[in-house]
Amino acid sequence: MSAFDIQENGDFRIGVFVCDCGINIAGKVNVSAVAEFAGTLPNVVVTREYKFMCSDPGQELIQNDVKEFRLNRVVVASCSPLMHEATFRRATAEAGLNQYFFQMVNIREHVSWVTENEYLATEKAKALVAAAVRRVKVHRALESKSVPVNPDVLVVGGGIAGIHAALTIANAGKKVYLVEREPTIGGHMAKFDKTFPTLDCAACILTPKMSSVKAHKNITLWTYSEIDKVDGFAGNFTVRVKRKPRYIKEEDCVGCNLCVEACIFKEGKFEDEFNVGLSKRKPIYMPFPQATPSVVLIDPETCLHFKTGKCKQKCVEVCERGAIDFNQQEEFKEINVGAIILATGFKTFDPHRISEYGYGVYPNVYTSLEIERLVNASGPTQGEVLMRDGRKPKSVAIIHCVGSRDRKTNAYCSRVCCMYSLKLAHLIKERTGAEIYNYYIDMRTPGKGYEEFYDKLLQEGVHFIRGRVAEVTNWAMVPSEEDKLIIRAEDTLIGVARRVPVDMVILSVGLEAHDDAGEVQRLFNISCSKEGWFLERHPKLAPVSTFTDGIFIAGACQGPKDIPDTVAQAGAAAAEALAMVDIGHVELEPNTANVETVMCSGCKTCISMCPFSAITFDAENWRAEFNEALCKGCGTCVVTCPTGAAQQHLYTDDEMYEEIEGVLHYV
Amino acid sequence: MEDSKGLWKIKYESDLFPEFGREIAASPGGENIFSCIQCGTCSGFCPLSLYMDYTPRRIIAMTRAGFKEEVLSSSMIWMCASCYGCTVECPKEIKITDVMYALKQRAIKEGVYPRRFLVPILAHSFFKSVWKHGRNTESHLIVSMYMKSNPFKMLTQSLLGMKLWLKGRMGIMTDSIRDKKSLQSLLQAVKKIQNGKAH
Repeated sequence: MSAFDIQENGDFRIGVFVCDCGINIAGKVNVSAVAEFAGTLPNVVVTREYKFMCSDPGQELIQNDVKEFRLNRVVVASCSPLMHEATFRRATAEAGLNQYFFQMVNIREHVSWVTENEYLATEKAKALVAAAVRRVKVHRALESKSVPVNPDVLVVGGGIAGIHAALTIANAGKKVYLVEREPTIGGHMAKFDKTFPTLDCAACILTPKMSSVKAHKNITLWTYSEIDKVDGFAGNFTVRVKRKPRYIKEEDCVGCNLCVEACIFKEGKFEDEFNVGLSKRKPIYMPFPQATPSVVLIDPETCLHFKTGKCKQKCVEVCERGAIDFNQQEEFKEINVGAIILATGFKTFDPHRISEYGYGVYPNVYTSLEIERLVNASGPTQGEVLMRDGRKPKSVAIIHCVGSRDRKTNAYCSRVCCMYSLKLAHLIKERTGAEIYNYYIDMRTPGKGYEEFYDKLLQEGVHFIRGRVAEVTNWAMVPSEEDKLIIRAEDTLIGVARRVPVDMVILSVGLEAHDDAGEVQRLFNISCSKEGWFLERHPKLAPVSTFTDGIFIAGACQGPKDIPDTVAQAGAAAAEALAMVDIGHVELEPNTANVETVMCSGCKTCISMCPFSAITFDAENWRAEFNEALCKGCGTCVVTCPTGAAQQHLYTDDEMYEEIEGVLHYV
Repeated sequence: MEDSKGLWKIKYESDLFPEFGREIAASPGGENIFSCIQCGTCSGFCPLSLYMDYTPRRIIAMTRAGFKEEVLSSSMIWMCASCYGCTVECPKEIKITDVMYALKQRAIKEGVYPRRFLVPILAHSFFKSVWKHGRNTESHLIVSMYMKSNPFKMLTQSLLGMKLWLKGRMGIMTDSIRDKKSLQSLLQAVKKIQNGKAH
C-alpha cells in the first residue's frame, strides 16, 4: 500500500476528472462548468476535463495528476461503471493507490442521455459529482481476492453448438461434461438433409463430429439428462445433473437393434419424434441410425410392460448382453466445474397458431422441418417427396415468415427461413420438377455465397412472389382450382391479387426460444430478452458472455442463427471458457459482507435469509459468523440485520449516507 | 385484367400463360430476365417511365409470371426510346431494351399491339419509307403517321411544320438513294434470317 493511502481523518487530496465522451456527455452537460464546480468542493485539489477519459492519454492524465498533486482519492465522472469502472480502477492502481480509493459517477446513461434540458443536466451532474466526492472520502482500502478455478467445463445442449464447443475445449486438454436432454446428440442439424448455400449433406458433416464426441477421452457425454441444480460462482460451480432412466444399461448396449426387432409390436405404432411425426416407431427404439450414443431406449408411456405389466418381454429374451433393465431409476450426479456453456438451441414455431394457413386442417400443408425429413434420404420416404396421400406434388408453394415479422406471433426476423426456403425449393425442384412458388415479404440473404444462391434459384425458374400470403384454402372458384390448395396473396411487385392453385404447401416456420427457457434462465441466474432468448452481456463486445461470470452462451439459444454463425459462436464461447479456466484463478470483487461483532445481537435473522449459506451461528460468542468465501455480495443480510451489524464492503452504511448527503447538500 | 374503372380484379392462375416468360427469355437478349431482383433501377433510370402504363420493372415481373395479354397490349413497350440507360444500369445485366424489342416483335406477331398508338405506326411508316427510298423523308413520315392515327391532330401541328419548312429544316421533296435495288436485297436477306430464326 502506498504512502498516500489515508484511511481516516487524514488530509484528503481528491482529483475529479470529468469526461466529454466526445459529444455523448458534452452535447448535453456543460462539462467545464461541472469541472469548475468540482474545484470548489472541499478537499478537491485538481479537476480536469478531457474528451475521452478512457483513452490512454486520459488514463495517463489521471496517473500523472495522482503523482503531481499527491492525490489519494480519485473521482471520474463519465459513463456507466459497467463500461469503464475496471479501466479507471486499473489506472488508479497503476498510479500507486489502492484501486478502491476510486469512485465513478455516471453522467452519461444517468444524465446526458436521459435529460432533455441542458441546464438541468448540468445541475444533476454537479449534484452527482458532489455526492461522489463526499463518498470517496470514506472508502476503505480493500484487496480483491483470488480463488482457484476448477478446470472442468460443463456444456449444456448437444446440438451443433454444444458439440463444437465441447470438442474445442476437450481438444485443448480440459475435461468436458456434455449434457443433452434428448436420447441422442445432434440436435436440429441431425434432422436436416442438405445445408445452404453449399448444399453439402448435413449428416456427412455432423456425424463425424458426433462420433468424436463419444470417443473423446476428455468428454463425459450424458444424454437423456437434464440440469437439476446449479450452485457456486465463476470458477467453482457445483451442478447436479438428473439422468432420466432409459431402461437400458448404457454401458452394456451395443446398438444391435435386436430388441427393437423382437418387440411384440410388429410395426411402429407411435409417433416418431425424430421424424417429427411423419413415421411410427415402437416403444423400444433407436432415435435414428447414427444416434450417439448408439443406445436404444424404452418409452414407458407406450411400453406394454410399464402400461399393463403383462408383456412377454421378448426384448429381454433376445438381448444377449442383458442390457435391458426395467427397474432403472432416475439418477443424480453432482459435478464441479469452472465454467458453463449454455447451447440449448431453439424450437420451431407451431403454425397451428396461424389458422389461416390451414396447418393441421389440410393434410398437404407441411412445416419446413417436416419437409427436411421428407427430402432426407434417411427420412420416412427415403428422400422421395411424397405427400400424405402418396402423390408426388406437381406444384408447391413455400410461404416465408410464418411466425416471424408478425407482431401477433414474433416481431423479429428468424434469419434462417429465407435461405432454408431457397434450399428446400432447390431440392424439391431437383427431385420432382414441380413448379415452386416462394411467397416472401423481403428476401434476406446476408451471408457468404447466399445472394449467389438466390440468383441461382431465380435462374432455375423458381417463382418468387413478393407478398404475405393471406390464406390457404381449398375453396375452388374456377375449375382449374379443384382438388388443389389455393394460395391467396397480393403480388405486390405486379400490383395484383393472385390465386395460385398448388398441390403442396410448405410453411417456413420461424425460430422460437424453448418453452422452458425461463426456467433455464433462473436455474443459471442469467438474463433473458422478452422473447426468451438468453441475453448476452454486450451485443457487440461480449456476445457470448452473460451477466453472470463464468456462464457463456452459444448458438440459437441467444437468438435465431444459421449453422455457420452457430459454430463460430460456439468456438468463441469455448475460447472464453478456456481463457477463464486455463488461467487457474479468478479475481473476486471484494463486495462480501462482514459482521461488526460488538453490534451483533445473535438474532439469527441473517442466517435464514442468506441464499448462499455463507452465515453460521457461533453459539459460544452468541453471534453470527460470516464465511467470506461463500458470500456472493447480494446484500440480503445487510438489509435484514436489525442492529446494523452486517455490513457489505463497497456499500457500507457510511458510504451510502455520505453519497445521499452529498446530493442533498447540493440540492 | 383491368375492369372498367381501371382497377385490377383478382388474377387466376388459369388466366396466365406460364410459358410466356420462358419464351421471352429464349429470345435474343432475354436470357437474364429470371435473374431480375425487382430493384427498380430500370424504372428509376427510364426517362419515359413517367408516361408509361407499366414501368419496365413491372413489365419484367409480369413477363416472368405469364401476364402475356397485359404485357403485349401495354403501351409501355412501344414507348421505349431505346436509350439503353436501363441496360447499362441493371445490376443483374439484363438487356432490358432487347427484351422490349422481343416483346414488340411478339406483339406485332400476335397482332395485339395498340392499333391507334403512334409509336408502332411511326415505326411502320419509317420502315416502309426506308424500304422504298433508302432514306427517310420527315414530312412524308409525319403526314403518313397522322393519316393512319388521327388526321385532325395534323392541323395542330401544321403551323410548326410550316415554320420548319420556311427555315429549311424540313423538305417536301422525297429523299432517296441511288442504288435502291441493292439495299432492298440486303433488307430482304435480313428479313429472311429473322423470320427463320425468331419464331
